[in-house]
Amino acid sequence: MSAVALALATNPGGYLLVLAIVLPVVGMLLSLVAGGRNAERIALALMPAGLGIALVIAFGVWREQAPLVYILGGWAPPLGIALRADGFSAVMLVTAALVVAAAGYFARPLFATPPQRAEARAPLAFWTLLQGLWAALNMVFLGGDLFNLYVALELLTFAAVPLVCLDGRPETLRAALRYLLFALIGSVFYLLGAALLYGSYGTLDIVLLAEGIRAAPVVAPATFAAGGLMTAGLLAKTALFPLHLWLPPAHANAPAPASAVLSALVVKGSFFLVVRLWFDVMPGLASDAAMGLLGALGSGAILFGSVLALRQRRLKLLIAYSTIAQVGYLFLMFPLAAGSEPWNGQAWNGGVMQALSHAFAKASMFLAAGLVAESLGHDRIADLRGIGHAMPMTLFAFGLGGLSLMGLPPSGGFTAKWLLLQATVEGGQWFWAAIVLCGGLLAGGYVYRVVAPALAASPLDVRASPSRGREGIVLALAIAALLLGFAPPGFLGLLQVGRAAIVP
Amino acid sequence: MTALLATGLLAPLVLLAACLRPAWRPAVPAWLAVAPLPALAAALMALENDPVAVELPWLRLALALDFPGAILLGVSALLWSAGGLYAAAFLKRTTATLRFVVCWLLTLSGSLGVFMADDLVGFYLLFALASLPAYGLIAHDDEPTAWRAGAIYTAFTVLSEAFLLMGFVLLAAGDPTGSLRIGDVMAALPQSPWLNGAVTLTAIGFVLKIGLVPVHGWMPLAYAAAPVPAAAVLSGAGVKAGVIGFLRFLPFDSAMPVAGELLAVLGFFSAFYGVAIGLLQSRPASVLAYSSISQMGVIAAVLGMGLAAGNDSAPIAGSLYAAHHVLAKGALFLAIGVIAMTTAPRTAPTLFLATLVALGLGGLPLTGGALAKLAIKEPLGNGLAGTLANLSAAATTLLMVHFLVRLARSAAHEPPTVIPQAFLLSWRLVALAALFVPWLLYLASSGTVQAVLAPGALWDAAWPVVIGAVLAPAWVRWGSHMPRIPAGDVMGTIERVFRSSYAIGVAMERADHMLRRWPAAACSLVAIAVVLSAATI
Repeated sequence: MSAVALALATNPGGYLLVLAIVLPVVGMLLSLVAGGRNAERIALALMPAGLGIALVIAFGVWREQAPLVYILGGWAPPLGIALRADGFSAVMLVTAALVVAAAGYFARPLFATPPQRAEARAPLAFWTLLQGLWAALNMVFLGGDLFNLYVALELLTFAAVPLVCLDGRPETLRAALRYLLFALIGSVFYLLGAALLYGSYGTLDIVLLAEGIRAAPVVAPATFAAGGLMTAGLLAKTALFPLHLWLPPAHANAPAPASAVLSALVVKGSFFLVVRLWFDVMPGLASDAAMGLLGALGSGAILFGSVLALRQRRLKLLIAYSTIAQVGYLFLMFPLAAGSEPWNGQAWNGGVMQALSHAFAKASMFLAAGLVAESLGHDRIADLRGIGHAMPMTLFAFGLGGLSLMGLPPSGGFTAKWLLLQATVEGGQWFWAAIVLCGGLLAGGYVYRVVAPALAASPLDVRASPSRGREGIVLALAIAALLLGFAPPGFLGLLQVGRAAIVP
Repeated sequence: MTALLATGLLAPLVLLAACLRPAWRPAVPAWLAVAPLPALAAALMALENDPVAVELPWLRLALALDFPGAILLGVSALLWSAGGLYAAAFLKRTTATLRFVVCWLLTLSGSLGVFMADDLVGFYLLFALASLPAYGLIAHDDEPTAWRAGAIYTAFTVLSEAFLLMGFVLLAAGDPTGSLRIGDVMAALPQSPWLNGAVTLTAIGFVLKIGLVPVHGWMPLAYAAAPVPAAAVLSGAGVKAGVIGFLRFLPFDSAMPVAGELLAVLGFFSAFYGVAIGLLQSRPASVLAYSSISQMGVIAAVLGMGLAAGNDSAPIAGSLYAAHHVLAKGALFLAIGVIAMTTAPRTAPTLFLATLVALGLGGLPLTGGALAKLAIKEPLGNGLAGTLANLSAAATTLLMVHFLVRLARSAAHEPPTVIPQAFLLSWRLVALAALFVPWLLYLASSGTVQAVLAPGALWDAAWPVVIGAVLAPAWVRWGSHMPRIPAGDVMGTIERVFRSSYAIGVAMERADHMLRRWPAAACSLVAIAVVLSAATI
């Protein structure tokens, strides 16, 4: 069977992909129906199950060294809908399951239904939205056609925005509204592009569309416009510089577990689709100029985000600006990984590694910042002197996450930078190397700003010490970022699954 | 042997794990002196037998010990052990002991591990471990000078890591087999298209670590701020992470005249600059720090000359010289701590021993220092480089006399509480090691006693010391009229320049404010869509 035919037929294990999406959807609906404390119970009970499914999918992809495919209802595209999991999807599924679970268990004391009441608005909203967001992410990672992905993207936005303003303070409402508006504009751009593609090729299935664009004697002019529009829309949702207006207020004002999920996963959802678009749907259109433009925006994000992080007064704002910078690294994938040279493969691995390690490191740092804010009642960096004395484990986790952001070994951040830098050398694209190194130095600066005073011995009044269990979750996430640095070669092989077939 | 190397690397980390349990924490300081001993045993074993190489696949780490690595590991482990003895007693008199112990153990594991690392990534990791956690040791005293010293130290460290990262990436890219073992990478380096870039960037990274002029400013600040045991191990063992870096990553089998001579010039300049500024310091710790800059300069000069000539015996010579410096500099820092707790007439024995060790740095005959100087004679040759090295020995002698005078004046004025026995024991141990261990190393590297005791060799060692000693009284008499230069000299200027770069941050903040307005963001969005569409055509 040809590669295209393989990608259009369900293969054994494909049903797991449906399960990965259905499980959180069912959980969300059940939570709404059962209400009250049951929402929390259902969400927390389903998280380990979801993680198990994600792990089985990843193992399956790794064992077969081929993507898993499921054709819904047996209707082959373009009539039906396909779900596909390649290596990148598989590791993102696992990461999402882990981070969502960590945020969920961390959030228990924050979003517990008060004992005297049967149901409270914020907890019910939080637990259902968290599951909705998780379902949307899984749809994004598995979706095989562009309209399906549009729906997933909308679901993602609509689950993410209310998480920002759960506490209902005016500034959070303002931040959420800003996020919502800009994300909606992004959606319009995406939808417009998708419509143009449908008009030209009569399908939105990724594999068929890619075949169509490749086989066309002359690329339809609408394709160019579609690429630009869809990408711009997705970049708006990814908050890539200079489209980051909504991210700092939204991520810095959301409750800590929400911030963690937003920064670690939600921005990567739309980034994932940019990758799908350029590497899977229209690799032939990935000109040096276009890829260079994405790389340049990424570089701008690295420099701007890092310098701005250096200048923030609040810990959560610092971490939010750091997210802008770290997202920038992801976009270096485009100039470096587009192509079929071995070093393109290295850059691909580097980019994916950056997405994974940033997810864990950043989730850990936002949760750590949450613990600090809970214990002190504020997160002013100037007044954190001595916090390490009061909360050593939290600070240790924050520091480990910071090491990964700086790109020091052993950490996934180091592996990511190492691979990206190797690609810049072998591809002769020195400019990106300079940016990566500058970004590392600046990251060192903003991590130092927090960690060094925190290590001071001066006494600090802490309202209440965080519970061991929640500190443990924060530390576990940081250690996950660290362990990525020990990933065996087989893991890097997994990331490549499904990539080679699509590169021309 | 595998087990011994692995234990040497992991022993400090095991002790670190013990800190996780609050009940065990009070017992940990007593073990600080024990933690480096497995590494010491491994070094001795490696010196006895042939070079060894082992792999620890579960840690993705390859370890190896050759002659230079083994002697540096051995003397460093000795210093760390004696320093641990001192530190345990010191920790009874200070606060924030947990932070100190954690940083000590992390730095220890990196500082010893870096001599054993045999693959690029492992070396990079252990080098970072030897450097970054030392922040907690330098900034141990919670006061502004210590914070400043710690901040500057960290900045230079992170900068050095960045250069090394790129240098290592280029090294790895030059090896077509994709192996990351240092031996394989260095074997492929001469044919690498990135030879010059790799050597330059790696060398810059290590120059930052060993503090050659003009990137030396952090060193006097850091060593003066750090508590005595920390200053001793950092100035003795810690900085040698940079030296082993040069030994491992300069391609000594292929002559690189330009790069080598550049390094030698930088080294000699630092050798004299360190002495000149050191003479204008009044705190004993600052004087020693400038002496370190000068001594690292000598080592850089030796290695630079070796690289220029393609002389592959330079690494052994450089490591013997560095080994003496580990012990001598460590000992002298410990002496500062001992003298500070001793009242005037009782300082005599300590000062006597300190004099021998200090003048040993200038090459006093029969001391370990004389042997260190003998070792570098061959790679430097008899030409200009040899002469400069002798002159720098004379200058070092002068600086050491200045140090001894300042040291004698730093004695305690009032009878203090009893000085802990551990302080004295630790100091004497390292001082005697500085005098005698180089003999063992010298003989192990197939040197002969006759060569040292030959009249010509004795005279060669003696005359720079004599010149320095003759000039010294004049300096002691009139030197105090010279202007004092603040420790860190150029650092003040560098900080001012750095602060002026904050303006960039302000400007970027303003730009960010503009870009985050709705109209600007909407325009950006449309512009990206249009430009990207156009770029794909």
